[in-house]
Amino acid sequence: MSDILTARLATIVTLAEKQPRLGRTAVMKLCYFLQTLRNVPLGYRFTLYSYGPFDVRVLSDISVAETLGGIESKTVMYSGGYGYEISAASKSEFVKGLASNFVRRHSADIGQVVQQFGKFGSADLELLSTIIYVDREYAQAGRRQTTDALAEKVQEIKPHFNKPYIQRKIEYLERERLLRNR
Amino acid sequence: MAKDPHRKYEIRCPVHGFIQIDDWEREIIEQPAFQRLRRIRQLAWTDLVYPGAMHTRFEHSLGVMHTATWLYDSIVSKSGDLLKQELAYDHQGLERDRRLVRLAALLHDVGHAPFSHASEELLPRKRSTERFAHEDYSAAVIRNELRGAIEGHVLSANAGFKAEDVAVLIEGGAAAGRAVFWRDLITGQMDADRMDYLIRDSHHIGVHYGRFDLRRLIFSVVAIPADKENPHPRLGIEEGGWHAAEALVLARYLMFTQVYFHKTRVAYDIHLRGVMKRILPGGAFTKPEGAGLKEFLRWDDWRVMGLIRMGKGGEHGRRILERNYYRRIYHTPEVCSHKDMLELKKVKTRLGRLVVAEEKATKSWYKTGNTDIPVFSRVRKPQVQPLSRYSKVIAGMKENSQVLLYVDPASREEAERKLNKKGNQLR
Repeated sequence: MSDILTARLATIVTLAEKQPRLGRTAVMKLCYFLQTLRNVPLGYRFTLYSYGPFDVRVLSDISVAETLGGIESKTVMYSGGYGYEISAASKSEFVKGLASNFVRRHSADIGQVVQQFGKFGSADLELLSTIIYVDREYAQAGRRQTTDALAEKVQEIKPHFNKPYIQRKIEYLERERLLRNR
Repeated sequence: MAKDPHRKYEIRCPVHGFIQIDDWEREIIEQPAFQRLRRIRQLAWTDLVYPGAMHTRFEHSLGVMHTATWLYDSIVSKSGDLLKQELAYDHQGLERDRRLVRLAALLHDVGHAPFSHASEELLPRKRSTERFAHEDYSAAVIRNELRGAIEGHVLSANAGFKAEDVAVLIEGGAAAGRAVFWRDLITGQMDADRMDYLIRDSHHIGVHYGRFDLRRLIFSVVAIPADKENPHPRLGIEEGGWHAAEALVLARYLMFTQVYFHKTRVAYDIHLRGVMKRILPGGAFTKPEGAGLKEFLRWDDWRVMGLIRMGKGGEHGRRILERNYYRRIYHTPEVCSHKDMLELKKVKTRLGRLVVAEEKATKSWYKTGNTDIPVFSRVRKPQVQPLSRYSKVIAGMKENSQVLLYVDPASREEAERKLNKKGNQLR
């Protein structure tokens, strides 16, 4: 397998070890945070959807990691909908061993992202990752923005969140010094 | 007599019958940047395996526009109230985004390199771990080469969007705002792109693997209301259409194994990359910026084939001309376990320098796994369940992680001896 793929698989397994019963949305967004906030070179190509930054290759990698026995996944039902719970499995050491140097090099990054974002549910992770995506786009275009303008743009994309709630999440990211163009 | 800007035109399509376009869309289609798609084959050298695979990105792009519009209209018809309540759409907003989706669907592939996905590895690097993708080129073509046609037509004044909005919807930029909801129709799990190419490729190739009930599927796609874990409406399938969705997923799987990842087709992709590395200045395409974009658009299949015919393609060009392609010597199972990976490692060690290429299904642009389409039921109370809960076939599907090893045909016997001597079962 290619280096980049083994690095991704090892990362997903490490995330599942550090934070058991992760949902698929959580894996997707934590990978986004790792790549965007910690510059972990996972090689994903995240683009924006109404559910936040997304790359279908994360789902493919989850499937491959599961086949290799590095993680196990089960579907969980709740009132009105469903989700997934992903945990490390019996071959987790084998999968991490495929990219042991990578895991060693980025273990602290993975720990940091899990600590900062592991406590959030999938709805908040979608919102937080969308805020960061919009912030990075503004930064790349060299445009400065106020909290209010950022909240307004995010609300256009995710109109079901009210503005004060979005602003509180922006303030959290500011406190954590994770927004760039402020 | 003045030209009627509201006139409609029909283009005959082997899959959809007639595809209707208006004068504005016709103007865009007539631009050289779009006409270039007539010279880019949908499936690269697949015709060397399936002789019928001669269709182009041009007809596929028209088909995606047609299918996306069909999907859009069906969703609005079934889920209009939800879109109005949760995304604050009104009639004008829905009309605006319908046109936007049509143009994004029409132009989503306008930035393809020659031979479609086969030469994408030759796109330059954007960052250290990421290459530009054809979508980056499509967006750049829309912003530059097609801006005049998109913004200059008299009908564009009614549309309420600019070329930039079309580019942003394809790229997945934040500026798309509310319209980002419709990106799933352009590039998603049940997008118009996939629905069109599976059926179109099957039609031209003469296989039935990619066929599914398109009409049933389209009329089953709905916007699913938000719930506590999914705070935003999303696209899914009405319960009555789950078999059609199951057939779509199976069609992807079958087309992948029988066509897109066919061992000989993959061998020709290797040779094409070898040719392109040799004939492109610096061994890569130019970036989608300024003069680089114009230079990129000068490349199409015809130019590459002409250079190969003139003998400028080097060893790989000769192999294409003489049909002397690399031969697959070994393959793992479609879904690789850790034992299969260990065996692969042993085989590679045994074959050593005889292995000239290693191709991985995971690197393919086409994906096969079970990404679990949400199914919406209204029986008793609204409930969303994954397709894998309905279909045991889908529940058992995994991402294809097959690895293929290739050797030069001249050393095939030697490679076979090495594998057989060690008791390896040749796959």
